[in-house]
Amino acid sequence: MTELLERISICVEFGKVDLKSPYPPALKDQQGAFELTRIALDSGVSPGVILEEALIPAMSRVGEKFSRNEIFVPQMLMAAKAMNSSMIHLRPFYLSGETRRKGTFIVGTVTGDLHDIGKNLVAMMIEGAGWEVIDLGVDVSTEKFIETADKYPGAVIGLSALLTTTMENMRKTVASLREIRHSMKILVGGAPVTPEFCVKIGADHYSPDPQGAVEFLKSIAQ
Amino acid sequence: MLPGVEALERAMGYLPGTAPEPVTELIQEVSEELVILDGVKAEYRIFSNIRLWPEDKTVEIEGVIFHVKPIIYSQITDTEEVALFICTAGPLVGEMSRRSMKEGDLLRGYVYDVIGSEVVECAADNMQDELKRAAGTRGMHITNRFSPGYCGWDVAEQHKLFSFFKDNFCDITLTPSALMNPVKSVSGLTGIGRNVRYTSYQCHKCDDNNCIYRNRKTKA
Ligand code: B12
Repeated sequence: MTELLERISICVEFGKVDLKSPYPPALKDQQGAFELTRIALDSGVSPGVILEEALIPAMSRVGEKFSRNEIFVPQMLMAAKAMNSSMIHLRPFYLSGETRRKGTFIVGTVTGDLHDIGKNLVAMMIEGAGWEVIDLGVDVSTEKFIETADKYPGAVIGLSALLTTTMENMRKTVASLREIRHSMKILVGGAPVTPEFCVKIGADHYSPDPQGAVEFLKSIAQ
Repeated sequence: MLPGVEALERAMGYLPGTAPEPVTELIQEVSEELVILDGVKAEYRIFSNIRLWPEDKTVEIEGVIFHVKPIIYSQITDTEEVALFICTAGPLVGEMSRRSMKEGDLLRGYVYDVIGSEVVECAADNMQDELKRAAGTRGMHITNRFSPGYCGWDVAEQHKLFSFFKDNFCDITLTPSALMNPVKSVSGLTGIGRNVRYTSYQCHKCDDNNCIYRNRKTKA
């Protein structure tokens, strides 16, 4: 069984989606994350174990390699695609409540800003770390964040901004969220955002990349 | 007009020739699809009614003051005229990128995105070449191009810049938060004069390690 989990993990790490995916060459004509996850479930491995022992470690290796500049955005996206193909089989168990996630992460690009690639990467990696992700998209108003936070008590919020002008909107959103829920955890990121800015606006954590966000979530989930 | 595979690999972080096969294959596929990319535009206006204010490190163009800050100011101290420009890769690449991402083809969406960024940079480089040629016929030279949001120049000053480009110049609009639409667009200024010169980027003076222009080789 551990061998099967290991194979799923490798497929996810290297972006081997299914039988048809020609990449990586070493796995050509072999089953990918999609088929192997089905096989694992059919042979009685629990969805929780697949997540914990195959997907999470794979995405964690991907995140670490990305932080160390050993791989770049394309390989991260390939891994995310393979992870999603595995998730197709796991999702029904979450929806039925049979398997639980580590928590909920609400993410969006702040009002006035349309950048989404960086935010999407963060969302993918956090989903790959076992969290439910609610992605509100771009140009998200403070009201929308508040409304969603009300629906998911205890959720962690992630805000992205790519321009110095919209960092000001990030500050306003954090202030409004703090007013209604003092203890809510808020994570911030995006190219011009700095750790100093994070402290200044009263957010809880800044990370320059998705892996740092995953580690922060891990630290508060315990 | 389209950037080559190597330039795109570099823009994604790879050393040329080291991106995984699915990435280079997609680059080729998407590039073929985009061969005729409509909507790429680059335009400039040249102003000779300008003043430089050394104490404030500002440039005044037809009465409008731009706070370009010391790094950029030091590059344009001898300028006699200023060209303001806006360039865009058009709306198509951005739309294709979003569509692919929505359909779950994340990598393809990202390839469109990076191509869009490189196309607008190429368009701006070509515009600079044209500006240089035109200045040359009058015995003048040009400086590098500088954009609001870089080297300390506030990104919000794009509102002043756009005030010189009425009527949806190049079909680019600016949101209140100073974001250009289409997203794959750049704006800025270039100095023109007998004693100005093109230099390598002054990266050692700036602390932005993520900048796309950081230590980039300049076209002379
Ligand atoms: C490519 C690029 C462009 C391209 C494409 C832009 C686009 N929006 O698609 C072009 C050439 C068109 C461009 C234009 C401009 N750009 Co530009 N551009 C960049 C560049 C080099 C990379 C952006 C990118 O795609 N990164 C890749 C993605 C994956 O990274 P990311 O979004 O940053 O996300 C990562 C992290 O930030 C983090 N993250 C993101 N969100 C979150 C959220 C949370 C919660 C967490 C934890 C982490 C996190 O994780 C992600 C993965 O690691 C950045 C500099 C840089 N190195 O980041 C400048 C940058 C974004 N641009 C900048 C500027 C100023 C501009 C212009 C205004 C310049 C001008 N006057 O023309 C224009 C504006 C365009 C517009 N539409 O308004 C500034 C913005 C800062 C500022 N001063 O306001 C930057 C930061 C460069 C700088 N000066 O330092 N740009």
